[in-house]
Amino acid sequence: MKRSLRALIGVSVLGLSLVACGSGDDEAEVPNTEAPTSEAPATEAPSTEAPADGVLNVPADYATIQAAVDAAVEGDLILIAPGTYNEAVQVTTNNIVIRGLDRNTVIMDGNFELDNGFRVVGASGVAIENMTAMNYTKNGFFWTGSTGYRGSYLTAWRNGDYGIYAFDSVGGLLENSYAAGSPDAGFYIGQCYPCDAVIRNVVSEHNGLGYSGTNSGGNLLIVNSVFRRNRAGVVPNSGSYELCYPERKTTIVGNQVYSNNQPDTPAIDVAILAMGNGILSAGGVQNIIERNRVWDHDKTGIGLVPFLEEDANDAIPAKDAWDMPCAEQKQLMPTLPDGPLLWDSQDTEVRDNVLEDNRRADIAVGSAGTNLWELGNCFEGNTFTTSAPLDLETLAPCGSPLSETAGDWTAGDLMVITWLADAETAPPSVDWKTATLPDLPQLENMPDAATAPAVPASATPPTIDLAAITVPDKIS
Amino acid sequence: MIRRITFLLAVGVLSGVACAPDTPNGMNGAHDHSSMPVDPASVMGEPDRPIAGPQGAVGQFVVECPYSHALPDDPIVYPGDAGASHMHVFFGNVGANAMSTLTTLLAGDTTCEQALDTASYWAPALYDGNEMLIPEKSVAYYRAGLDVEPTAVEAFPAGLAMIAGDAAATEPQPTSVVAWSCGSGAIRETTPPDCPDDRGLRLDVTFPDCWDGAHLDVPGHREHMRYSSGGECPSTHPVHVPQLIFSVAYSFSGNPTGLKLASGGVLTGHADFVNSWNQAKLLDEVKYCLHRDVVCGVTSGRISG
Repeated sequence: MKRSLRALIGVSVLGLSLVACGSGDDEAEVPNTEAPTSEAPATEAPSTEAPADGVLNVPADYATIQAAVDAAVEGDLILIAPGTYNEAVQVTTNNIVIRGLDRNTVIMDGNFELDNGFRVVGASGVAIENMTAMNYTKNGFFWTGSTGYRGSYLTAWRNGDYGIYAFDSVGGLLENSYAAGSPDAGFYIGQCYPCDAVIRNVVSEHNGLGYSGTNSGGNLLIVNSVFRRNRAGVVPNSGSYELCYPERKTTIVGNQVYSNNQPDTPAIDVAILAMGNGILSAGGVQNIIERNRVWDHDKTGIGLVPFLEEDANDAIPAKDAWDMPCAEQKQLMPTLPDGPLLWDSQDTEVRDNVLEDNRRADIAVGSAGTNLWELGNCFEGNTFTTSAPLDLETLAPCGSPLSETAGDWTAGDLMVITWLADAETAPPSVDWKTATLPDLPQLENMPDAATAPAVPASATPPTIDLAAITVPDKIS
Repeated sequence: MIRRITFLLAVGVLSGVACAPDTPNGMNGAHDHSSMPVDPASVMGEPDRPIAGPQGAVGQFVVECPYSHALPDDPIVYPGDAGASHMHVFFGNVGANAMSTLTTLLAGDTTCEQALDTASYWAPALYDGNEMLIPEKSVAYYRAGLDVEPTAVEAFPAGLAMIAGDAAATEPQPTSVVAWSCGSGAIRETTPPDCPDDRGLRLDVTFPDCWDGAHLDVPGHREHMRYSSGGECPSTHPVHVPQLIFSVAYSFSGNPTGLKLASGGVLTGHADFVNSWNQAKLLDEVKYCLHRDVVCGVTSGRISG
């Protein structure tokens, strides 16, 4: 079988945390950018116009969520009563809030036929809160082309592509949410720079990838979350099949990342290639990986590896173009490549993480021919036992240029090329529709769902006090 | 004629499109054993340039459909005449065969990941020597044509039948219409390249995106469709429809010298499409993804889980 093993070295991932519990070390409520407005006259339900108080109840006022969404105007709140809804909802209205009254009993069910629970298409400021989406052939919750998006207290369980997915969108917050059972990533933010987005207090488990983000970054923070028992944990990655490469400037701090060797999940090919790694940068650059606790992985705890892209669509941007905003890069005419692309992981800082029992190496950097000291990745202050190459913190300290003469860069080489062969013998993907998952968990509700005011998504994510985040305790 | 009537009724109900009184050859008409135009490009034109490169710059929706079945049938060219065609590989609608009508297709199941895409897509079978290669899947990209104003695009009418590429070609076809590639890479070749192991061979066929507004099919299966140029459709074919870029993905890689298509050599690439989508869903995808110029999905060269 010709699985694309080589492609695996670059993949995506998601993470999850056991319980989505609010964390207190970050802050800033999302500001309400838009006062609720409603021009519609008050009418008794069911109505085709929004009620005067700006609250549209489903099913009391509108039989379907889609009908309520279509009737809503900016600032409205759609409140969904407990029940199972077999809908694939399209959202095109800016600045509305769609909320379930109970996270665990407001259930969007795609019945293995519908594509997305919610698809927000080019609408900005849309917040989705406090509900569950399961059994969709594509994604549980999906924003695309949005400026300002927020998902809070969401559960995505057993969906066919991603759990919670933001593409080509900026200004985002995904928080207090859970995703399990997707062959790609539980949580994904891709094709944006700067992304200006935060993922906090999420749990991602039993996915192909806990977190994946292709060609994203720039004020993109992944903090205080749990990524466990996926094929691979947190996997930012680069590739030219979609825009805004390379992946850069993703900040990963204060997460618990463990046991991402799960053999019985659905998995895209890259998830199988990345299997057994906790935090794996696959061709990403300028990332910051700090104060995470990472344990129990067959391969690396934190690994920086190349992604070989054999079916390229453009040339790799030169380093001086890494800061080009995505919107600008989109205007460039791609260069027809004359061969495969090798995306090296570069200029990434790995500091102050606590790692144990990562069987190939706790911390590692690998390449497919490029001299490791030319990649600019540095490692400092980590608590670890093993590294590849050996003595990695001595070879590659942060704060000064790396030197070929710092030591023996070849001893204990990661030999990342052997992962291709490993993937050939790894447990194959399990059909997402039938994969064994943890039971649909009962998770914390948002506070005061029935009465809390509608706060549309802000295009400015909360400010996170990164310095206040400490290495989380070990849980299991 | 019963089938023909059913067909027209279905069209009327689903799309309100008026069919011209002439009876097209095709799914419900007389058999068409006349050869196709020697050079279809001279009839339909071709895109201004090959459509390849990174996704994500323009609005699109994408449907991946695993291989369904192979039959020596052609529901467009040889309707009602089972076994009359060269071997085809079918994707999407699992029931597509020589006897298919819009009605039967709409009632059919699909291999597509998008369960409401019950359209039928097919292409000539590919052989390595005497061995027929079973494709892995097809990938259908739906976009506005090059430089076309996205809001001008209308969904295909239900039952629209069209063919792109020339099954009788003896010279290389424009790669903007028919090309070979590896994985989801951007390089387009007139003959199959030697692909790496994990980025298998693909046949990429780009369909016309301008419709005459009247005929679901015509004798010869070409005259009702044109390619846009400079973002415009010709006045004779004024209706912008989505540009369907259809890619057949094989797990085959390596030495391509033994390859040939059922329609002839490797220069005879072509593909066929009958719109038997759930029409309401197709209308939604055009409205939400193309009109709003939003990327509703992307695909990589990856293998799905």
